Amino acid sequence: MNREISKKRSNLYRKIRSFFDTRDYTEVETPVLSPDLIPEVTIEVFETLFLHPFRPKAHFYLVPSPEVWMKRLIAEGFGDIYQIARSFRNAESIGSLHNPEFTLLEWYTMGADYRDSIGITEELFKAVIPKGISEDLRPPFRRISMAEAFKEFAGITLENCEDREVLRDEAERIGISSAAESSWEEIFHLIFLQKVELSLPQDKPLVLYDYPSAIPCLARDIPGTPWKERWELYIRGVEVANCYTEEDNFEKVAEYFLRESRLKKEQALIPCPADMDYGKNFSRFPRCSGVAMGLDRLLMLMEKLDSIGGVILFPFSDTLTATLNEST
Amino acid sequence: MIKAGAIDKGMALLFKGQPFIVVERQFVNPGKGSAFVRLKLKSLTTGQVLRETMKSQDSVEDITVEDNSCQFLYADNDGYHFMDNDTYDQFEIPMEGFEDYKLFLKDGDTYKVVMWDDRPIDIKIPFKMVYEVTEAPEAIKGDTVTGATKIVTIETGLKVRVPIFIKQGERIMVNTETREYVERVNS
Repeated sequence: MNREISKKRSNLYRKIRSFFDTRDYTEVETPVLSPDLIPEVTIEVFETLFLHPFRPKAHFYLVPSPEVWMKRLIAEGFGDIYQIARSFRNAESIGSLHNPEFTLLEWYTMGADYRDSIGITEELFKAVIPKGISEDLRPPFRRISMAEAFKEFAGITLENCEDREVLRDEAERIGISSAAESSWEEIFHLIFLQKVELSLPQDKPLVLYDYPSAIPCLARDIPGTPWKERWELYIRGVEVANCYTEEDNFEKVAEYFLRESRLKKEQALIPCPADMDYGKNFSRFPRCSGVAMGLDRLLMLMEKLDSIGGVILFPFSDTLTATLNEST
Repeated sequence: MIKAGAIDKGMALLFKGQPFIVVERQFVNPGKGSAFVRLKLKSLTTGQVLRETMKSQDSVEDITVEDNSCQFLYADNDGYHFMDNDTYDQFEIPMEGFEDYKLFLKDGDTYKVVMWDDRPIDIKIPFKMVYEVTEAPEAIKGDTVTGATKIVTIETGLKVRVPIFIKQGERIMVNTETREYVERVNS
């Protein structure tokens, strides 16, 4: 526990709020509990019960990010919005970069695409990162596409590997073996984690952009290419933010919900329901771009720490250990 | 067999038929991807260090090891020298992959040494340890900001951020995982 860190965190939040307030974004506060979520197969959630003294109980879920609510506001015509939101992810192994409850800064800019969001994020960094901090946290950001990164650090031309077998052979060629039943996405991530991510330059913040469309998410496709309008921000090799040009096509959103919620039912430990009418929000959804940024990680990097435990007053790993010790 | 997601630092594994100790492990959930674990493994036969990435769901073979109480004698460029408290045997654990242990081990103290097949493979550093502060800058007079900190050096050479009231020669408890100050120890 560290009082100085708490002061730095509140100072950071104050600067973030001031940045968005002066640009006329509306700060919103959306519920932590939701009866349904955007289906994401790779994210496990926390479940809880709402009890009514005289009626059946109802299942609610703690949001893994405020996206599910904020997109409803966008559809209502709220305009530019932001939120500093406590978010919850279950069943992620606890380590130096994960705490099951953590703080996300999420903002949406109307009329913007993912490229505009890079500029806005650079402006945000100029406003909130104290002067005198090391170069690797300061804008301008370095930019590299996923295709360039694969070519340079793994020697693989990703555009030619849309076929799973081809990608598997290419991985084998550079010494990465994968199980016969591995999916395209798994092989992609094995190469990415072993060859690419660790080699990304760390002298400046780095925007890795244009992710494969084969990784399903609610970002827009770039027509005529195998890529999506999506980027992630890396600082000192740590993933700090994720950005999309948001999918605004009603049919594509509905299709994503259908496919992912089916997988969720099959694979998730807690198969929370999705609102199958969610797609209707997208019948009048404005073109916009959203960014989600992990503030615990950002603060950790600003403080030159190796673990987010150093910026959280009561790290989950400590309370979990205490609980396990008591119960044995 | 265990799942790769259950692997912890200090565990011994049989990997491609060879015994390894886990020197580092980091969990990664690449953007919208499934869970992976990134490992730094040290071969128990050759000392070679290698990096490996596995899906959390993959199975790996763990091997059984035992802990022996051993006295730490000294470190040199090659490795850490210990004496087994039961047998008085002296042995060395090579430095490779364990360079950071220098910052925590104190000459003459007893530690648990992990043995596999009668060979020393790892040292268990206690989660919290007490050290003497060997170098501390004087607090600036009139500096009464609550929560102000400064950096001091402890007897192993590690630099630690501490509250401003800590003086040279005092003893402090340090969290060896986060390398952070825990509390002042009155002896």
